[in-house]
Amino acid sequence: MNIVRNLWISVVVMTISTTALDLHAQTAESVQRGPDGHPDLNGTWFNGDGVTHVRPLQKGNSLCIRGCEAETPGPPRLTPDRPSYKTGFLSIVSDLDNRQVEEDPALRCFPPGVPRIGPPDKIIQIPSQIIFLYNDITGSHFRIVPTDGRSHRTDIGPSYLGDAVGHWEGDILVVETTNFNEDTWLTDDGSFHTPDLRVVERLSREGSSLHYQATAFDPAVLTEPWELRPRVATLTARELVPAPPCIEQDIDHIVDGTHHDNVR
Amino acid sequence: MLHVQMRLRLCAWISAVFLTATSSVCAHHSVLGQFDPEDRVMLSGVISKIDWINPHIYVHVDVENESGETTTWRLESVPPAYLYKAEVTQGMLMGGGNPVRIEALRARDETQYLGFIIRIYYPEGHHYQLSIDY
Repeated sequence: MNIVRNLWISVVVMTISTTALDLHAQTAESVQRGPDGHPDLNGTWFNGDGVTHVRPLQKGNSLCIRGCEAETPGPPRLTPDRPSYKTGFLSIVSDLDNRQVEEDPALRCFPPGVPRIGPPDKIIQIPSQIIFLYNDITGSHFRIVPTDGRSHRTDIGPSYLGDAVGHWEGDILVVETTNFNEDTWLTDDGSFHTPDLRVVERLSREGSSLHYQATAFDPAVLTEPWELRPRVATLTARELVPAPPCIEQDIDHIVDGTHHDNVR
Repeated sequence: MLHVQMRLRLCAWISAVFLTATSSVCAHHSVLGQFDPEDRVMLSGVISKIDWINPHIYVHVDVENESGETTTWRLESVPPAYLYKAEVTQGMLMGGGNPVRIEALRARDETQYLGFIIRIYYPEGHHYQLSIDY
């Protein structure tokens, strides 16, 4: 009787083990890998940055680029992600938000900072470093992310996109960025940060999807680390093009002060 | 806190400079903050140049008035990324140098020859609607 029971248990265990191995194999196979064994994040990734609400509609020989959404309803625009500030800084955020058009550096073509810039539009991956390329409304930007274990640089000053280093946690690329200047906002609503801002981004690939998540740490002003809503970019065959230069020409002609939504 | 104070001082400085330079500093960056949907114009002319720039492209249109004088309008439109998504190129908008008609909104601050494009009509019969029809 014991022999039968043991045999039955063995069959169950083997079945479970085989299933687990199959799942593991499937998971492993679904991740394309580079020569170094890490997931291959190379590619051009469309994340919809700023154009998800643009749904061109062909009408005969004519084309409607904006204003045709009623005919092709798309997903509603998401509620903006917002960091939570300590009480003493709420009035500063509110004031900056009220004067967004005059204060938001991104509206004057300055680089938007991290994580406001969002997922990279293109990734170039080599064993010792990963390069992020961006086509942003403020211009073309790049970030170099060493992945060879080196520390943050000490020979450069604060900058709009900071100084990044990366490492792998399993199949997830973790990028830590510090050394930001104070001339970027976290969002478009006056969400300033201090020079001690630290941002951790996590990127992983699943088939043709790039999963992106970021957390901003700025304990001097935020009540808690700000976790952005996860985003997904899709591999695209349409090659990235350099962003046209950003030359602001509107400010002198604007006559009211309503908020300019710039949700990314 | 020191950095915040420094930032606020910088903001105050920027505000002071811009308030001196223009009264529109506390203003809006959106279309309706700059252009008047109640003040429309239909322009007939030739697109002479397009500034393919962020955050918005500008289309230059040479318009001849009844006296035979040519004035060049500067017409703001959408960001280049919108057109890239729609696969509309600079050349397609130019219309090959042929006369076009452009429906536009005039600037609220009454700057002459400044507007915002709603639609461009081409002699071949097609048109591009570039903006929401406010």
